[in-house]
Amino acid sequence: MIETSPLLQANQVAKRFGAVVALRSADLVVKPGEIHALLGANGAGKSTLVKILSGVFAPDTGTIRIHGDLIQPKRPENALRAGLATVFQDPSLIPDLTVEQNFRLTGVNIGSVRSWLERLDIDLDFDLVIKEIPLETLRMLDLARALAHDPQLLLLDEITAALTANQAGKVFDVMQMWKEQGRSVLFITHRLAEVLAVCDRATILRDGAAVAQLAPKDGGEHELLEAMLGPEATRQVESASPRVLPSEAPVVLEARNLHSKGKVNGASLQLHAGEILGIAALEGQGQERLFDLLSGDRRPQQGEVLINGRVLNARSPYDAVSRGVVSVPSDRLLALLPKRPVKENLTVPLYSEFGQWFTLARGEDERVQRSVDRLAIDTRAQNQVRHLSGGNQQKVVLGRWLTSGFNTLLCFDPTRGIDIQTKRQIYALLREIADEGAAVLLYTSELPEIPLVCDRVLVLYDGRVVHEQEAATANEAILLSKSHGLVETI
Amino acid sequence: MTSASVERTASDRSLNWQRWRRRHGWTVGVWILLLLLLIWYAALIPKFGTFQITSITKNSLPLAYLAIGQAVIVIAGGIDLSVGAMMVLANSTAAVYMDGRSLGMAIVIGLSVMVGLAILNGLVGWIINVSKVPDIVVTLATSFIYAGIALLVLPGPGGSTAPGFRWVFTGAASGTGSNFWPPLAMMIIPTLIVAWFMRRTRSGLSLYASGSDLNASYLSGVDTGRAKIKAYAVGGAMSGLAGLATIALTGSGDPRFSVGANATLNSVAAIVIGGIALTGGVGSIVGAVAAAVIIIFLNPILVVIGVDQNTAQVIQGALIAVVMMIGGLLELRRRRQE
Repeated sequence: MIETSPLLQANQVAKRFGAVVALRSADLVVKPGEIHALLGANGAGKSTLVKILSGVFAPDTGTIRIHGDLIQPKRPENALRAGLATVFQDPSLIPDLTVEQNFRLTGVNIGSVRSWLERLDIDLDFDLVIKEIPLETLRMLDLARALAHDPQLLLLDEITAALTANQAGKVFDVMQMWKEQGRSVLFITHRLAEVLAVCDRATILRDGAAVAQLAPKDGGEHELLEAMLGPEATRQVESASPRVLPSEAPVVLEARNLHSKGKVNGASLQLHAGEILGIAALEGQGQERLFDLLSGDRRPQQGEVLINGRVLNARSPYDAVSRGVVSVPSDRLLALLPKRPVKENLTVPLYSEFGQWFTLARGEDERVQRSVDRLAIDTRAQNQVRHLSGGNQQKVVLGRWLTSGFNTLLCFDPTRGIDIQTKRQIYALLREIADEGAAVLLYTSELPEIPLVCDRVLVLYDGRVVHEQEAATANEAILLSKSHGLVETI
Repeated sequence: MTSASVERTASDRSLNWQRWRRRHGWTVGVWILLLLLLIWYAALIPKFGTFQITSITKNSLPLAYLAIGQAVIVIAGGIDLSVGAMMVLANSTAAVYMDGRSLGMAIVIGLSVMVGLAILNGLVGWIINVSKVPDIVVTLATSFIYAGIALLVLPGPGGSTAPGFRWVFTGAASGTGSNFWPPLAMMIIPTLIVAWFMRRTRSGLSLYASGSDLNASYLSGVDTGRAKIKAYAVGGAMSGLAGLATIALTGSGDPRFSVGANATLNSVAAIVIGGIALTGGVGSIVGAVAAAVIIIFLNPILVVIGVDQNTAQVIQGALIAVVMMIGGLLELRRRRQE
């Protein structure tokens, strides 16, 4: 047999956004007639690489070849013409247009989409407006549209995340068919079981670089996980001294069997006073929605949230805040008044306390100063919070709650994109808060930090809590395999 | 078996009806409101005939054209505060160059004015794309520029146009008469052309798409930059047409700034009443035209029932507020039901 030349060859592709390096040096080779998995933990650069391949943005350096020909997709149309069709992580259909108008807009052959939908067992009225169609059907529609372009390489970014097992099976059938026709599929998923079942080869990204290429069927889960984790994870975790919680510590926040629009599917948890409870989950397992429910931003369709044993019937986050449950979101600018000074940002929660005649009492200046000192906020740019660094902004968000007082803190990925030193300060602060008797619920996308910061950890998968253990003994391998929905640990 | 299938078609029909109502309900509602106002007006005055129909139609033309232009731009996710100034610029330029010319020349000049404004405003769309300065800021600036040029071209009221040209928009060479077919045709034809362009062509759909979800449009392979340029070009052409309609109505040019400023505000009011979301991507041209006619038509009604000019303004404002609140309540009720 002749050695086949690669269908797609990406060499040393790099991309940075401002100070953030999304991809350092990614290499990817996809042969004709194979299903190739692209794997990596959160933030490893998978989606960035997909977006570069499909022309959403141009790489800073590196080359992309299709059948040996150099291509430089500058816009999504260029990639389509070169034979690359992508199903993006987010639906890319226009919400206010009908299905038919969407296809007419992009010049897709409607007959061909129709026949693909038939193959995928989707019965759809093309007169419906996109925003009236459920998400899983939209994903299949996205797929049918990509297939109608008849691409050489089909890129599927997390398509199965929103699908039922039955629908996912249909997608795998199509992938198999594409392979038999000598064309290829690049498949991105967080579900390793799927990789083992359908993929021929896998490229693994870690910290923005390709670190391994392997055949999943030979090595199994173990090899995949090892490559994704990297050597650091195997080193012994320097654990904080395991804390023994007084079992009689009262439950301050409780979730009972919460349901919300297919994102949270029966999540329950209990948060005790004085503990830091970690939540581990891959992207899109319902963690955002769970925090929305707990913070009073949304009401559950089913189930209830209890604060200090009393049901929370929240109309807005204000109701939760007034009962001592406060939030620190990952997008700091969402929580801050970006163009106002540090001091005002710290005193925002006090506004309602002062009533309508807003004046800062004499003692308040002092309270603000104490928060600034305690958090070691770098106040050189204090006139407008948006000029502070990300880490300092996050400290201001924390500081505003310290100024006003609370008994439960909900932290959603508070250290995303923050330097290591500030991270440590924030974690130390969380511990201090817990030691003073408050409860902290912490979701973090950085699994290695869970045993360092938390007392207990819950793993969320598909909107449910699937695992619970002492944080001190929870290493990354366990958390990762549980997060992937695997039943047994390696 | 038969009864089951009958039941299914019945439920299908009610589903279709619901869907149709949700999508076109607002547009139809605005037209019904216009119809009710017409009936009311007809009952109020001693004699309602072709003269009144002609007068209402021709007087609505400028705002109807501006509303169409504004609608296209807002649907594409922008907003243009310069449509009124462009109308004044077109009016002044046409008044100067059409003075003493034949009908043929006047039409050539009129078309050139429309094409010129389309190119000019398309350029504005391009500038907004490249500079990333918000639409509202850029078009506020250009509105002063257009208004200034209008005054340079025609320093004070003056100029004229060919009588035949006046007939095209008003149905009479003198500008006053009872022949309603020409003004009605001048309202219906541009409306249908633009509505067809927006709903049936890929270009038009790309405007709806970029106004609805810019990111999804880009990912689907829509050239969102070109979409914005097209929208602003259509807005420019329609504002030009509005300027031509004003000169046909009055018979001479009027470069005053306030005329344009008022017209711009009315154009925004018209599209909002017409059911076009200021956030983009939603609404129909046909609804905006009906709303434009309502806004103009309100004046003679209020005169007939004896409301003075100042109170009329208050009523017009209240109408906009009430219609918007009805829209909000309907939306709220629908969400509750879901």
